[in-house]
Amino acid sequence: MKRILPLIVGGLSALTVLAAVFLPGQGSSVLTVLLNWVIVLAAITFLVAVASLALTHLRFIITGKKGFLLSLTLLFSFAVTLVFGFLRGVEDPVFLKWIGAVVRPIESALLGLVALVMMSAALKIFRERGWSALTVSFGVSAVVFLVLGLGFLQNLNLPVLNGVIRFVEGLPMIGARGLLIGIAIGLLMMAFRVIFGMEGPGND
Amino acid sequence: MSLSDLIVMILGVALTIMVFSYILGDRLFFGIATHILIGVSAGFLTLVTIQKVILPLLVAPLSSPAAPGFLLALVPMTLSILLILMLFRRGVQAGAIPLALLSGVLAALAIIGVTRGTLAPQLLSIFSRFDPAQLIQEAEPQWSSLFEAMMILLGVISVLFVFHHQGKTKTGGVVRPVFLEGIGSIGQIFIGITFGALFVGLFSTALIALINSLSDIITFLKLWF
Repeated sequence: MKRILPLIVGGLSALTVLAAVFLPGQGSSVLTVLLNWVIVLAAITFLVAVASLALTHLRFIITGKKGFLLSLTLLFSFAVTLVFGFLRGVEDPVFLKWIGAVVRPIESALLGLVALVMMSAALKIFRERGWSALTVSFGVSAVVFLVLGLGFLQNLNLPVLNGVIRFVEGLPMIGARGLLIGIAIGLLMMAFRVIFGMEGPGND
Repeated sequence: MSLSDLIVMILGVALTIMVFSYILGDRLFFGIATHILIGVSAGFLTLVTIQKVILPLLVAPLSSPAAPGFLLALVPMTLSILLILMLFRRGVQAGAIPLALLSGVLAALAIIGVTRGTLAPQLLSIFSRFDPAQLIQEAEPQWSSLFEAMMILLGVISVLFVFHHQGKTKTGGVVRPVFLEGIGSIGQIFIGITFGALFVGLFSTALIALINSLSDIITFLKLWF
């Protein structure tokens, strides 16, 4: 029973949504109600996840686990944001200014750090995986697109060269299209597995 | 420059240096900066979730019992309580039903989104390349268009074969037929080209962010020296 009830709920809700979408007119009100419920449930799930995060770090502080200073920092910044936000409101310009003052430099610096990490990772890929069709085409493509990104070749304005550049610029779309279709098929399979109860919360 | 602007600037530079301390092998200051980011982001998202979703969609209908949405709001409230029970060790199983509803609806939405938004447009875009109106113009075959269409078809099929891992097992290992290996290698070239182009795009963006962060530090230093 523990497994069957979630399976029935999951399958029925999925079938209801599919029926409401593929039979327009009759199911739109049902779909609206169901989507509202799901939005509320997704929000509550997020809040439960945040509460779980806070409780875990609180436990780290109480037990004095190694790195509890970081947990203290996290909880302090979380509490200050929450209290400040409740007092002034989420759309208050002063509140948003201070949130931006903290978040923007960290995100920008982290993205800057990504540039350095990516550079070392790109070099590491040849050391780790050796010379293969994938690594060679990756390296050549990176160099070619780095040169094309400079815009120097485009400025020469040679009709033949422009044709070649247009052809080369279209090449990544072929691989991207294949990857997109592959991901879509995988996602479709996963969705059917969830609906038929082969994956999901009822399946331990 | 006002006092608050100055404080914002000092805070920004301090946090930037804390993140960049990772390059020197420091973990403490980098950890503090990332944990501040996690704490502030979690706090802000919690506030937005409460004010924009929970209050209007759950609390408002429940606060007026005479309203038509009251009975409908009882369902998400009950399911929400079951979800909250998951925070306690004994109530973990209670969350199975709301999570099943959530995953069922999301799976159905994924099927609709993937078929209508990705699979159909991508497949139609490939097949439209073989439209006779495009391939033959003024009774003359357009060889470049045909070459392009064939290349796209070959590229997409070969990329899909890269992830085909079924094969005969021989002494424990998976051996794929030779033609699959060949098509897979062509697919790897196309994936490499795509990843190379993506890498350059991401790398350029990250480099701009790095320059921006460094220029902020230089601007700050110029204020004092």
